[in-house]
Amino acid sequence: MKKYILKRVLTSIGTLLAIILILFILMRLMPGSPFNDEKLTDDQRVALYEKYGLDDPIVIQFGRYVVNMCKGDLGVSYKISKNTPISQLIESRLPISIGIGFYAVFRGAIIGLILGVIAALKRDTILDTICTIISVIGVSVPSYVFALGLSYTMGYKWKWFPMLYDSADAFNSSIMPSIALSMFTMASIARFTRTEMIEVLGSEYMLLAESKGLSGRKLLFSHALRNALIPIITVLAPLIVDLMTGSLVVEKIFAIPGVGSLLVNAIQSNDYNVVIALSFIYSALYIAIMLVVDILYGIIDPRIRLGKEGE
Amino acid sequence: MSDVTYVPTQEDFKLKNNSEELGLDSNYASQNFWKEVLIRFFHKKSAVVGLILILLIILFAAIGPGMNDYTYEGMIQEEKNLAPRVSWLEGLGIFDGSETVSTSVGDVQVNKYEEGGLTDVYYWFGSDIYGRDLWTRCWEGTRVSLIIAIAAALIDMIIGMSYGLISGFFGGKVDMVMQRILEICNGIPRLVIVTLLLLILKPGMLTIIFALLLTEWVGMSRIARAEMLKLKEQEFVLASRTLGAGSFFIIFKEVLPNIVGPVITQVMFSIPTAIFTEAFLSFVGLGIPVPRCSLGSLISDGYNSFTTHPYQIIPPIIIMALLMLSFNLLGDGLREAFDPKMKEM
Repeated sequence: MKKYILKRVLTSIGTLLAIILILFILMRLMPGSPFNDEKLTDDQRVALYEKYGLDDPIVIQFGRYVVNMCKGDLGVSYKISKNTPISQLIESRLPISIGIGFYAVFRGAIIGLILGVIAALKRDTILDTICTIISVIGVSVPSYVFALGLSYTMGYKWKWFPMLYDSADAFNSSIMPSIALSMFTMASIARFTRTEMIEVLGSEYMLLAESKGLSGRKLLFSHALRNALIPIITVLAPLIVDLMTGSLVVEKIFAIPGVGSLLVNAIQSNDYNVVIALSFIYSALYIAIMLVVDILYGIIDPRIRLGKEGE
Repeated sequence: MSDVTYVPTQEDFKLKNNSEELGLDSNYASQNFWKEVLIRFFHKKSAVVGLILILLIILFAAIGPGMNDYTYEGMIQEEKNLAPRVSWLEGLGIFDGSETVSTSVGDVQVNKYEEGGLTDVYYWFGSDIYGRDLWTRCWEGTRVSLIIAIAAALIDMIIGMSYGLISGFFGGKVDMVMQRILEICNGIPRLVIVTLLLLILKPGMLTIIFALLLTEWVGMSRIARAEMLKLKEQEFVLASRTLGAGSFFIIFKEVLPNIVGPVITQVMFSIPTAIFTEAFLSFVGLGIPVPRCSLGSLISDGYNSFTTHPYQIIPPIIIMALLMLSFNLLGDGLREAFDPKMKEM
């Protein structure tokens, strides 16, 4: 187990370094560094280069960049808000985005599980068909289409919830975005749960448990659902990625002051530093989540880590 | 025991030249694999519905833009923001070019065609804020989105499949290195790769296809590798090797035909992902440059006026949702048709 965790941690660090390297190269490729924008004499430029260490060997510069990134010193924004450290820009936005994302995953997972279990228990009935239709639509319709739909109906026509994010009423204004984001999670988990439940329900240990005379509820929760849940953890990681992508557009639609809308703004106003910093944060978050999911899965299902060690 | 002994003659050792018969198993009636797949596929209604929808959308993407006289970039200043109007539905009171506009005195039913004296002008999906025909633009956009998605999915298939097959076949150190590279690629969020790439390259169709390529091949290579690991221990590979076949012959001529099913299924699933990613990029402003359009850029344009003129955003959204839905249904159907034993997902 230790070996497995160590291996996963090392791969994650390697990935993170690879990403920082890409970002570093991009930084150098980007047009318009602050030093050739302004009218500087050659002496001033040399002095500036010295001050920021731009005349050091590239390896040392890269090393410094890695250290800075990991310390949270992400550089300075040039366009969105002049000369503000990016970490400061992100500080207030990250909790909002993570909050909405968390609601979305939580709500999506719970509803998805319920739908999936109902579909599996009432297999081949009208309930099953309804659950299947809901989940197929949820998987195939992008989250921002849901966001637009919700915003038009519940926000604009019926005025149930504020159409645009209002920080004074954070709870109500995060309901629509998190519903829109949770649709995909819900649908995928519902489909997956249904498949797993059907398989578990048909297994021999369920027959044994049933013939021991266990009551229906105990049978369902402590035998069937528990075993069906294990593989569901694996789908969580890709779901979180989709959530990240979805959140960008959804945040823009509802004008949520989160990280996603900041990234969209940065892309649209060509603020490279912010884009690169946010790419780093997204990647770091993503890698961390993948690591946790993989380790969790290794703990729950020994076949995974044994299989990987045997490679 | 009979006492008759058979004396071999020279005839018995002649080459039979029956290479065509050799492939046939005469003991069992041959079951055509593709025929069975087709039967199973058409048995599943949702998959057939998906296929029909896809064919319809492709048909309209092909002929739609030519069905009226407007072009996707032609702007008519006097004919901005017109609601949908279809000649043969007008009499029924729908699609007659009227829309409800909220003003300070409440909701008012307005017909801009009548106000502007455009009695014999018909915009089937309406016109946008620059006076461009939405029907033409929608199908033009569908065409662009489909080309991007299908091109990306096919090239992904080639790259991912080769990568996975090679990695799985050689195993050992080659597999180790290739899988570590893949893990690192997979560790970078798709969003980040695509955004960064489009920042340094000029936005356009090729760039988007390239960005999609960099991110989508991982899934395909996983599937190809898993299939390879399953198949490479089987007898037909051993037989081929015994007959002196080289590695690449075995990979591409022996194993590849056996994994066509999962590969096609995966392609069907990667098309909607590509459509979605393209739409997302357009929405963020990294998509197809104007005046060309894609489904994503149409939705993004419509979004700016979706509370005042909702009809502008509805057609592209419906087309995109239908496309993604049908590709998912088709993928599901194909997966079951190719491998009925596999658990449905």
